[in-house]
Amino acid sequence: MAASNSVLGLYDSPDAGANAMDGLRSAGFALGTFDVLTGTPYPEGAFGEHVPQHRLFRFPFFGAMVGITLAILFTAGTQLAYPVITGGKPILAVFAMLIIAYELTMLGAVVATVVGIIFESRLPNLNLGAYDTRITEGYIGVVVECEDDRIEEARGVLQTAGALEIKTA
Amino acid sequence: MATSSLITDAPDNRPSNIEATATFAGEGRTAASRGLKMFMWILAAAGVLGLVGIAFRFIDDGGRQEWGYYAATLAFMLTMFGGAPMVAIAPTIAKANWARPAARIASLASIGTALTALLMIPLLFKLPALTEFSEVLGDDVRRRSVWFDSPNYAPHFWNILILLTLSLAGLALAYLMALPDLAAIRDHGNGWKQRWGERLARGFHGRPQQWTWLNMRIGVMGAFYFALLLYANFTFPIDLALSLVPGWKDAIFPFYNTLGSFQAGIAFTILGIWAARRWGGVARYVGHEQMWSLGKLLLATTLLWFYFFYSSFIVFWYGRSVPDLATIKLLVSGPYIYAFWGTFLLLFIAPWWVMIWNKVRDSVWGPPIAAVLVLTGLALDRIRIYVASWSAVPDNLELATTGVLEKMPETVWPDVFDIFIMIGLPASGLLGILLAVRLIPVISIWEIQQSRLISKPVRFLRGHALLVGKPD
Amino acid sequence: MQQRRILDEVTINRELLRGNLATPKWWLPTVLGLLVVVLFGFTLMGIMFNRGLGVTGLNRPVYWGLFITTFVFWVGISHAGIMISAILRLTQAEWRRPVTRAAELLTVFSLLTALFFPLIHAGRPWRIFYWITPFDFARGIFPNARSPLIWDPFAIGTYLTGSTLFLYVALLPDLGVLRDRTTGWKHSFYTVTSLGWRGNPRQWRLQTVAGILLSALMLPIFVSVHSIVSWDFAVTPSVEGWHSTIFAPYFVIGAVHSGVSAVVTMMALMRWLWGWDNYIRPEHFDALARLLIVVALGWMGFTFAELIFGVYSLEAPERALREMQMFTWPWNLLFITFFLTAFAIPVPLWFFKRVRNNIALMFWTSILVNIGMWLERFLIIVPGLSRKQPFVFTWDSYQVSPLEWGLLLWSFAWVLMLMLLFSKFFPLIPLFETKESQVFTTDIKIGRVNVPAVIRELD
Repeated sequence: MAASNSVLGLYDSPDAGANAMDGLRSAGFALGTFDVLTGTPYPEGAFGEHVPQHRLFRFPFFGAMVGITLAILFTAGTQLAYPVITGGKPILAVFAMLIIAYELTMLGAVVATVVGIIFESRLPNLNLGAYDTRITEGYIGVVVECEDDRIEEARGVLQTAGALEIKTA
Repeated sequence: MATSSLITDAPDNRPSNIEATATFAGEGRTAASRGLKMFMWILAAAGVLGLVGIAFRFIDDGGRQEWGYYAATLAFMLTMFGGAPMVAIAPTIAKANWARPAARIASLASIGTALTALLMIPLLFKLPALTEFSEVLGDDVRRRSVWFDSPNYAPHFWNILILLTLSLAGLALAYLMALPDLAAIRDHGNGWKQRWGERLARGFHGRPQQWTWLNMRIGVMGAFYFALLLYANFTFPIDLALSLVPGWKDAIFPFYNTLGSFQAGIAFTILGIWAARRWGGVARYVGHEQMWSLGKLLLATTLLWFYFFYSSFIVFWYGRSVPDLATIKLLVSGPYIYAFWGTFLLLFIAPWWVMIWNKVRDSVWGPPIAAVLVLTGLALDRIRIYVASWSAVPDNLELATTGVLEKMPETVWPDVFDIFIMIGLPASGLLGILLAVRLIPVISIWEIQQSRLISKPVRFLRGHALLVGKPD
Repeated sequence: MQQRRILDEVTINRELLRGNLATPKWWLPTVLGLLVVVLFGFTLMGIMFNRGLGVTGLNRPVYWGLFITTFVFWVGISHAGIMISAILRLTQAEWRRPVTRAAELLTVFSLLTALFFPLIHAGRPWRIFYWITPFDFARGIFPNARSPLIWDPFAIGTYLTGSTLFLYVALLPDLGVLRDRTTGWKHSFYTVTSLGWRGNPRQWRLQTVAGILLSALMLPIFVSVHSIVSWDFAVTPSVEGWHSTIFAPYFVIGAVHSGVSAVVTMMALMRWLWGWDNYIRPEHFDALARLLIVVALGWMGFTFAELIFGVYSLEAPERALREMQMFTWPWNLLFITFFLTAFAIPVPLWFFKRVRNNIALMFWTSILVNIGMWLERFLIIVPGLSRKQPFVFTWDSYQVSPLEWGLLLWSFAWVLMLMLLFSKFFPLIPLFETKESQVFTTDIKIGRVNVPAVIRELD
């Protein structure tokens, strides 16, 4: 298998970045192999980029299930294991258990969501590939993942769109 | 880089002002369809039955407990019709543009509130005075109430006053919000509509000072209405439910009612939009965006319903004093347990489960389903609270004054007249609104136009977006 | 009023990372000064653990005093973060942007501080583990899940964990910026903590969805936390003035009142200390003050209902308690101060646009609110306990001891010190939100006038 490389073109205006994205698409680079890097969120589709799908909404449900199970085990388990009647309430006092169950359900949902956000963002990934620190200063980076034989073509497209600098990693 | 340089105009296929005026004020307006006429006759018939129900309630009067369903019906109407105008008021204050096409439907609900205020008058004769115990226990013994040492009929006086004022404020608001559209009917309509347009629009010609005047009036009247609604939701539920039950002390109860009012108002508006789209041919003006936003609010109020209910329930359940347990039994686990479970399922579990899904909220059919559930649940909730309260007539007056409900009342089931009342009175409120819509456009033309002015579809580089102005 | 400035990303980075990439001159002396107070506070705690709770003013029948008041106070302040961050995010209020991070941070640090108080109030904090965690298998003794005192740690634990994670997720893009601007060990630190953030559409999309989803999840937690704290009081029928169904929403809205006021205090400080005039502008104070007017009026409505229903039952002890709270020396002085500072002085002032846009006045009125809100909690907790109850044979009013005052002072120094330490390593104003605001706001021309406008993505 030919080695995969990433090539980055750096642009000083969003318009030039969008042109580079157009160029890559018309040069036949597959969707999902090229991406735009920005220091700011732009409205969705501003660069004609591939709109990524995510499954974040599944995570909170999973977390909530785990949370409520733990809560039921904790509340029911402790009360049954140490059955002392207090305040005239039943040993398994549902309305009191509900409060702890609610908190742990929400905790499970939040923790799972955060795990989901990191996972769906494809993080952590400390290897940045082709990258330039000026991206967080307002420059637009257009990065292409391609095999060795298409590197030159990618560089050409990025250059035509007016790249200030092209980096390979 | 300035954003303005990245934006270009995009094609705008929203209906123009000329189209909207023609559709709602001019040639495009059609006479009522046969189906609509038939529906209005059915509502009218139901309204007559409602009046028959009230008359027989008076003739066959078996005491206070028989008036519970009547009180519950009025509470339901106040909750629903009274809450709806908030959908026209609150987003205006928050500068939320999406609500504009729904504002008319919401504001016209005040016609139902006005009817509720009139129907309140007969009930006042059945509401006990603050001194109801004094014949037996002596002149200085008064029922617990928030009126403390006020005159004996303070609840009667203040409640009818507040309902009438609320109705007037609501009608004034609806009229002010319709004024520019009435002017459009005057200028573009024909026949009786044109004549009424001329009469009602007065000299409104859209001069800048007239718009300033109008916006200021709408703002002031909106704030006034909101304050009155809070007040009505404080006194009505306390005087017509809580203070009738010995020992029921529940500070969150007025706020529970206020929340119910917002919830029902939102549900009413959602159903109004749905009906206007389905039968009124306004699908180009109102729909997805309003459903999405109102759906979120409905979900939020549904969750808050549970919060408010639980906040009071847990305090009673945990406290376990004699009045605490009696209150739970009366309102939740005792004679009205079925109404309670119905409320719980229809007002909380079912709409929550329906609305939690993005796909359902993001549709024009999902929120109406939740709205029907919510309104049904709310009707059951009012039955649970008001019928129970009116049935809790104390046997032992001395115990009652110290806050003990010594005997749990039996379940009061509705008789045929109660059913007439429960169907007929809200139906006549609805009829009033439909009659008003024959003259006043169901979608506000001027608000649609304003919405068009301050927002436009644009292209942002390669993407599509909407530019929305936020004027001060 | 349009005060928006057009700024490029280089300027935003330079100005907002002022406290991170360089150290302001005042920073070290201030932190050291606060550290002295903090160490003094820890010493006081040590003395209390060593000598026992007798060194406080707590005595029968008033066992809940300044510590519990301060606990409720800091839990209240913690409601700033989610109120500002989540509600304003969900309602897409554009002016929230510079405020969110500071508000979330206030949530985390005030919760951390609040947690201390019930722990030290227990006298022997290590024994609290018996209450909360089921670990004593040897003796078969387990927590009582029916007790509100167990609900509290679950609620606060959930809120603290959730808020911290919320804060961290929203920090990721800014950590990426710091990684790109630093060298050496700092670079390594930010490389690891930013998890390899690159700013591609997937990451930005997730960041937006995360903001909405986490806000939607945090809101119900936010509401539950102070409700559960209020049930510590409300579920018991034995103390006059506590057994009220309104307590949950009443505490929550009071918390929002004090929390949002604390955000105002903090924003004024941030503007003065770091010179962020381009970002924290009078229009933000104006918007916060408008929000505060609504919140304060709502809170007053709840206060009114709470008082009305306090005397509604016409029972002599309840009436006597209210009379004591409001009309008997020295409670009447506290009550008047509470009413003036939390409501009667600041709220009418906020009705004036000139006050709302005057940062110094906003700063001082927001401080007044929190003095009042602390007193409110004190007036809820202590008077009810100090009245004679059945089966209580000695009773006396409660005198706060100097040690307790010292620990109140400690809590403020502790929160401020944590904030300043945070400000050294992380930006207090979210950079990416500020930059996003630059992209998403512009003007729309209507006839001859330019109206500020925002860009909304189409669903």
